[in-house]
Amino acid sequence: MINLQDVSKVYSHTSVGLSEVNLTIEAGEFVSIVGQSGAGKTTLVRLLIAEERPTRGKVEIGGWDISKISSDNIPYFRRQIGVIFQDFKLLPKKTVFENVAFALEVAGTPQSRIRSVVPQVLDVVGLSGKQDRFPHQLSGGEQQRVVIARSLVHLPKIIVADEPTGNLDTINTEEIIQILKKINEFGTTVVLVSHNREVINRLRRRVITIHEGKIVGDEKHGKYVI
Amino acid sequence: MISFYRIIKFALQDIGRNLGLSLMTVLILVLMLLSVNLLWSVKIIADKGAELLKNQINFSLYLKSNVTDKQLNDLTSYIKSFPEVTDLTTLKPPAVLSAFEKRNALRPDMLEALKELDENPFGPALVVKTQEPEQYKEILLALNVPEYESIIESKSFEGHESALERLQTITNRVESAGLGLSVFFMLISFLIIFNTIRVAIYTQRVEINIKRLVGANNWFIRGPYMLEALLFTLASLLISGGIIFAAFNKLDPYLNVAFTDGFSLTNYFSSHILYLATIEGGAVLLLTIMSSSLAMQKHLKT
Repeated sequence: MINLQDVSKVYSHTSVGLSEVNLTIEAGEFVSIVGQSGAGKTTLVRLLIAEERPTRGKVEIGGWDISKISSDNIPYFRRQIGVIFQDFKLLPKKTVFENVAFALEVAGTPQSRIRSVVPQVLDVVGLSGKQDRFPHQLSGGEQQRVVIARSLVHLPKIIVADEPTGNLDTINTEEIIQILKKINEFGTTVVLVSHNREVINRLRRRVITIHEGKIVGDEKHGKYVI
Repeated sequence: MISFYRIIKFALQDIGRNLGLSLMTVLILVLMLLSVNLLWSVKIIADKGAELLKNQINFSLYLKSNVTDKQLNDLTSYIKSFPEVTDLTTLKPPAVLSAFEKRNALRPDMLEALKELDENPFGPALVVKTQEPEQYKEILLALNVPEYESIIESKSFEGHESALERLQTITNRVESAGLGLSVFFMLISFLIIFNTIRVAIYTQRVEINIKRLVGANNWFIRGPYMLEALLFTLASLLISGGIIFAAFNKLDPYLNVAFTDGFSLTNYFSSHILYLATIEGGAVLLLTIMSSSLAMQKHLKT
């Protein structure tokens, strides 16, 4: 599903994002990627969503070779993954419904399907009845649920969640993690990047630890050890 | 087809939900169009004024009193044979006398001297008009042949020559200044439009980036902005057109005092509306689309 071979990302002589990383994530896994600030987690996420290309090595995701992907193909690739950001990245002038629908509209999904699917997904994340609100009318936890709904609505095989609970309180954090676990139970691969020790330890799933751009730990039922 | 419909929907949504920014953009475009049209109107009025002055200029040939009808006809035919001549009027001796008396109504000495004579001392006169004032010289030169010189008493043009040259110089300078001013205005307009669109796109850079991350291709992102540029152009054309029509309607009565031939800026504007709308609309649309493409370019890099 996700395969990184000898991947390095070098920004300058003094700034190395990742160094000779080898990593394989199988379909259906729930993997947490942990590490201190500046360890290389964000670089890894940016490679996984094709926001950057590796300086060296090969990145393969769901059959796409990110190291060689053309600019024209990037939108098609992104329609097959779901991305959840710490800062939500919702379109401020669109309603909840329109934000979620946008992920389908870019892919040319018929309006009738959008009208039936979006309310269902909003129901799954507990936002029924709030579909006409704008992002600024929602709490942080609700905004993050909209982002999850948007990342889910086109039924991606992989979800990349970059610090999804970073801006949330304990209750909302727990709810978001439960939703991600539920998504994973339906067969979607989840890559969770986080530095929340409690969340990682409670999950008891595979944990990959990154330190100074290198993978220093990879445990099947790991814990946050740094 | 679905994508095209969605691009229209997003464009309209964007205009409605960013109403302040949309109105500001249209306002800037309207001000720019008004400036251009103001410059254009000034040029039309200046051209019309110069044309009017040129039309009022003619020269007269005063013929000797003993000139025969045959000689008069020969001279008339000769002058009419020049393609530059647009009008030729023959004044009979009584008409020339009457014109002289009118011209010298405030000079009793002249009128007294005229009364001393028992008969009308004037012969017939020819009033000649040419297409351009500078063409008088050619006609006058062509009359320097013994056959006609012998029957011409005097030519009234010599006195107007320096005034005509001054008029020509002023007209040429107005045209050069108008061209320079137009280029200057175009440059200013380009900078204003480019900056307005750039600011509008800059405020939406975060949204553009989000759309990219969700999987929108460049045309799906660019499309609504292009359509907005088209709608802003149409709106600004309509608004500026309305303001111009209203302003010209108010201005026309004042112009009618100066131009007695019924010249009306409103009529001129109406008869050139398609041409102006195409040129101005095309230029504004090209500028807005170019500006938005350039401004968006860096936000669309993946």
